[in-house]
Amino acid sequence: MTDSDSSLPASFDIRDYLRTDLFPHFMCVGCGHGIALRCLLTAVHELGISKDELAVVSGIGCSGRIAAYIDANTLHVTHGRPLTFASGLKLARPDLTVVVVTGDGDCLSIGGNHLIHACRRNLDITCLMLNNEVYGMTGGQVSPTTDEGRYTTTTPLGNHEPSFDACSIATAAGASLVGREITFQAPALKNLIVEAISHPGFGFVEVISDCTEIYGRRNDLGSSTEMILSQKSGMRPESYGGALDQPFRPGNWQTGVLSRSDREEYAAAYRRRTRSARPEEQT
Amino acid sequence: MASDSSSGERQNLQGNVACALGAIAAGCRFYAGYPITPSSEIAEQMAARLPKVDGVFVQMEDEIASIGAILGASVGGVKSMTATSGPGFSLMQEGLGYASQAEIPCVIIDVMRGGPSTGMPTRPSQGDVMQARWGSHGDRPVIALAPASVGEVFEQMLRAFNLSETLRTPVVVLIDEAIAHLSETIDLSSSMPTPLASRKVATGDVAGFLPYAATDDGVPAMQCPGDGYRSHMTGLTHGEDGFPTQDPATVERVMRQLLGKLDRNMEQIECFETLECDDVDVLVVAYGITARAARRAVVSARERGLRAGLLRPITLWPFPERRFRELASSANTVLIPEMNAGQLCVELERLCPHPGPVVRLNRIDGECISPRQILEQIEKLHAHD
Amino acid sequence: MGASADRGMMEIRLSGSGGQGLVLGGRILARALLLDGLCVAQSQSYEPTSRGGLCRADVVAAESTPDHPLVGELDLLVLLDPIAAAASLELLRDEALVLADSSLADGFSDGELADVYLPGVELADVDLADIKVHSLPLYQTAKRLGAPRVANIVALGALTTLAGRWSQEAMEAAVLEEAPRRSSDLNLQAVRLGLALPEGQRVAR
Repeated sequence: MTDSDSSLPASFDIRDYLRTDLFPHFMCVGCGHGIALRCLLTAVHELGISKDELAVVSGIGCSGRIAAYIDANTLHVTHGRPLTFASGLKLARPDLTVVVVTGDGDCLSIGGNHLIHACRRNLDITCLMLNNEVYGMTGGQVSPTTDEGRYTTTTPLGNHEPSFDACSIATAAGASLVGREITFQAPALKNLIVEAISHPGFGFVEVISDCTEIYGRRNDLGSSTEMILSQKSGMRPESYGGALDQPFRPGNWQTGVLSRSDREEYAAAYRRRTRSARPEEQT
Repeated sequence: MASDSSSGERQNLQGNVACALGAIAAGCRFYAGYPITPSSEIAEQMAARLPKVDGVFVQMEDEIASIGAILGASVGGVKSMTATSGPGFSLMQEGLGYASQAEIPCVIIDVMRGGPSTGMPTRPSQGDVMQARWGSHGDRPVIALAPASVGEVFEQMLRAFNLSETLRTPVVVLIDEAIAHLSETIDLSSSMPTPLASRKVATGDVAGFLPYAATDDGVPAMQCPGDGYRSHMTGLTHGEDGFPTQDPATVERVMRQLLGKLDRNMEQIECFETLECDDVDVLVVAYGITARAARRAVVSARERGLRAGLLRPITLWPFPERRFRELASSANTVLIPEMNAGQLCVELERLCPHPGPVVRLNRIDGECISPRQILEQIEKLHAHD
Repeated sequence: MGASADRGMMEIRLSGSGGQGLVLGGRILARALLLDGLCVAQSQSYEPTSRGGLCRADVVAAESTPDHPLVGELDLLVLLDPIAAAASLELLRDEALVLADSSLADGFSDGELADVYLPGVELADVDLADIKVHSLPLYQTAKRLGAPRVANIVALGALTTLAGRWSQEAMEAAVLEEAPRRSSDLNLQAVRLGLALPEGQRVAR
């Protein structure tokens, strides 16, 4: 992270944004989630969002446990449902910056229906999906983003299922800002998160993380450094155009902002449509 | 036109409409739901009415999302509710458990219909009584209300929100389909003015704030995003600080506090009605629409010189155990008419102070139990004396 | 739940098949009784499809909130479709009044319910002793207005006159309040024709 630190405002001290009294944290050595957490907190700092105005909603899994370490209003909810809680919270409290931290299983499997409808509604929420291709918290089962052929505890002979392209799903479902980054590109990831939070609508950010301890070990993917370097070599930071025509394959990542639209944000659309029912706005 | 002036404030109101009006009168400003017969009119009413009071209505993708959204909104400090029926109520059990564990106020309407599964969507049933009590996993405090008329639906909505807010717990309102779709003449202006309650708000130093600290009434004060406390909320078993713990002593302490908070506030929770209960041979225990039939039956029985009485729980869970035991101890027989295969009766068999007969009268054909059926049973039980 | 007396109680059912406007009819009737100062409970039952299935709208009225809001012993029954008869005849109380559309009662001449052809009903099972049956051309009257769909409104008018237990003014007002505004004139015509319909008709028994 030394490279990325040079681009940060001098005053940034990550400890200001963490509940350090909960340390040591639970994350395994080499887990990419810590980089994602740092990028999120750096982005919050850069945007000047106060911790009191920040609400972080997370689900179940390794990604879900991250919320607790953030010194903000944190809500650790049931498996797959953080987008539903976040939707209610944002509609009730438009003044809050609402960030969802979720994982590939939480967001795409048990929460898949909530994801597509959250994208469709386009509420002003940022969804950070940490994709480590596996159910780490439960011991390493296959997930909807596990690459074909990979070994997990529930695919002992190799995964026979194809994997989801989360960003294509989010784009197709109507998220008005969709992007992807790998943890190797921490400054770019931070910038992408800044963009997603600033964007007035649903921002979906897929973070290609790595699970060294469980997934990497079982599949002989080497150290965390090796896994991250391998992600880097598969990175394709070109535009998203044409990407949908090619079969999606994990490890062959288009990165950066992949799609963007200026679709009306949900709460604004709701207020506009219901204006006739609000006497005070009948001027 | 002969207008409202001739009828004063009296109006014919459908149960589901009264439910929505009661919710808004109680201060509900957020509704998330998913369409399901026979509850959909509640959503339709809320969709039309909430914008007028600067509230928000959102139709979610399913019932799991609906309860998630209302919990999120409630955490944000807004009184929130959803409405559903049996199949959707099943899906909400996950969120209900979360609300109990994290102590988030919310109101869930279950307009009961015939089951199991898709069952009979337009037919009445009282099949969700035990699901309301035990539907979500683990031990948790449960409050369920069972109004018996359209006017009472309105009143109980006010109570539901008040209980939910003051006790920081989900409150389920079980409405019979036959009441949800019944229109009755009610006068909202004459219904008892109920002071509205709001959750106890956290005050004091931010440093060292314990979001689940023990209090005299067992209900912790609630923080709200933006108030500076920045606390953590989780469905994991947590200590007073809100963070997950598996320390046995802490878990024991916080679970005792969670499970004990209803007992400590039973005076405001317990609610029942009795009729002709001074000298009872046959005690009828009935709730919801069945209690209306039972009332008619008890009146008819008394006219025939039969000593029948009615205990009608309005708060169904927790059940008014003490009063039931008192009445049952002097009665020869307890008769429990229910539109299910026998649910509340299991609880009453357990509570009955003597081995005297607890007699079930069950109807599972999608029709309401009639006063005549109950009267016939009362007569039969008297004949056996 | 008010004091238990159910004074002045009456139980009314409008029955037929889906699409005949019975739920609206029930709402209008309930409104009329409310305008006349009564407390009502109105319910309906229909099959999930909105057209063709068995449908009924029930109204229970009393001076205070009825103990039991659902019908058990009918004072008044309107039959617009023969499929509705089977479920309702057994609920008639002594001296009940039945209003049937005349198309249901071919050969009906002397007020004997037994002469009315009602498929699926074993009339031998029904004690018809003191039941008054009125067969009136409700649909025919509505057709004369060019709108068979207002047969429900015609029926309400006729029932008002036959029963004599609530005011004509209340019924007319209720029709205007509850029925769709854009067809107010049509509905007013329909209810007035209905009110006059029993006049000059042979009343059974």
